[in-house]
Amino acid sequence: MKDPYETLGVERSASPDAIQKAYRRLAKKLHPDLNPGNKEAEERFKAVSAAYGLLSDADKRAQYDRGEIDDTGAEKPRQRFYKDFASEAATGHPYENYSGFADFADSDDVLSELLRRGANVHVRARGEDVRYHLPIEFLEAVTGATKRLTLPDGKTLDVTIPAGIQNGQVLRLRGKGRPGIGDGEPGDALVEITIKPHRFFAREGNDVYLDLPVTLSEAILGARITVPTPTGAVAMTVPKGSNTGTVLRLRGKGVLRRDGSHGDELVRLKVMLPEQPDPELEAFAAKWEGGKAHDPRRDMKS
Amino acid sequence: MIISKQEFLVRAQLEHETLEAWIHEEWLIPGASAGEVTFSDADIARAQLIKDLKSDLGVNDEGVGVILNLVDQVHGMRRVLTELLRSLRSRA
Repeated sequence: MKDPYETLGVERSASPDAIQKAYRRLAKKLHPDLNPGNKEAEERFKAVSAAYGLLSDADKRAQYDRGEIDDTGAEKPRQRFYKDFASEAATGHPYENYSGFADFADSDDVLSELLRRGANVHVRARGEDVRYHLPIEFLEAVTGATKRLTLPDGKTLDVTIPAGIQNGQVLRLRGKGRPGIGDGEPGDALVEITIKPHRFFAREGNDVYLDLPVTLSEAILGARITVPTPTGAVAMTVPKGSNTGTVLRLRGKGVLRRDGSHGDELVRLKVMLPEQPDPELEAFAAKWEGGKAHDPRRDMKS
Repeated sequence: MIISKQEFLVRAQLEHETLEAWIHEEWLIPGASAGEVTFSDADIARAQLIKDLKSDLGVNDEGVGVILNLVDQVHGMRRVLTELLRSLRSRA
């Protein structure tokens, strides 16, 4: 005969609350339907529920404490557990669910081979997802495109690239993966997109960055110049007195956002001297007093 | 064995409304025969499991759905595993 207090792991003086808590803790671990196949858990669960049946009833508990009854016979007969039905039915059970391993049902290993042969009667599994990798051009990512993937088996797959796609984004093409098992659905094709770098555009999030060379005269005097954007060239005013590093923002000329708005293009000016030495410019610089007083490195002095 | 709704309510000790709610949640999926819903012994055991979860184990309604789904997956896996082992043995 076992002491029900010991079975539940509580003190003899434990409050009803503590007893219920102890029982729940054990029941969560030991309930046979949460441990199908674990005979020991089932036996322990029976003992634990018998002990709880005795100790949760104040009258019976008092009688037991006074030694008037023992715990024999306290075990209440109960119908069979759900697991007994779930595992016996020869034809599979309506509640049974195979989605938990659908992912390895169609790989090429021994296990899936066995799954197909051994369990062909009931297995209905979703096909495997297949991963592809698709590099696209910078501008295709900005404006969107349709790309054709040629698959290892020679079939082709048209992939619609939505405008504004991000580097590393994965497109899911429903039903374009491996076929399912039985009448299971086919898996998906997962296409990971890599955006190739552009010759002069760069991108961060939905903003496009461009280093734009301007001449000395355009920088000093200001000018209206033509600037490339991903969607074509636009006119932009370089303000008088611009410098290398000046950033001008072209609103809405960046990449499409999810909400339908666009990012900006940020144009960073780079003042360029003429490629060939220019005698007139040299002569000017030599006699230019303001240039001698100007110290662009003053912030670097310690 | 096929059990009528009335008998099911008695044997599973359930209120009519509770049963309707559980069927609505798809915790129980009764069969049908001649326009009447029917139940099996497995449904009774399953109802007992749901009662255990809710009363003894203190699981709330959301938790019951999650647990049943996982339990059903475990049984699906156990079945395939059983067949797999059988197949392995027959090939050995």
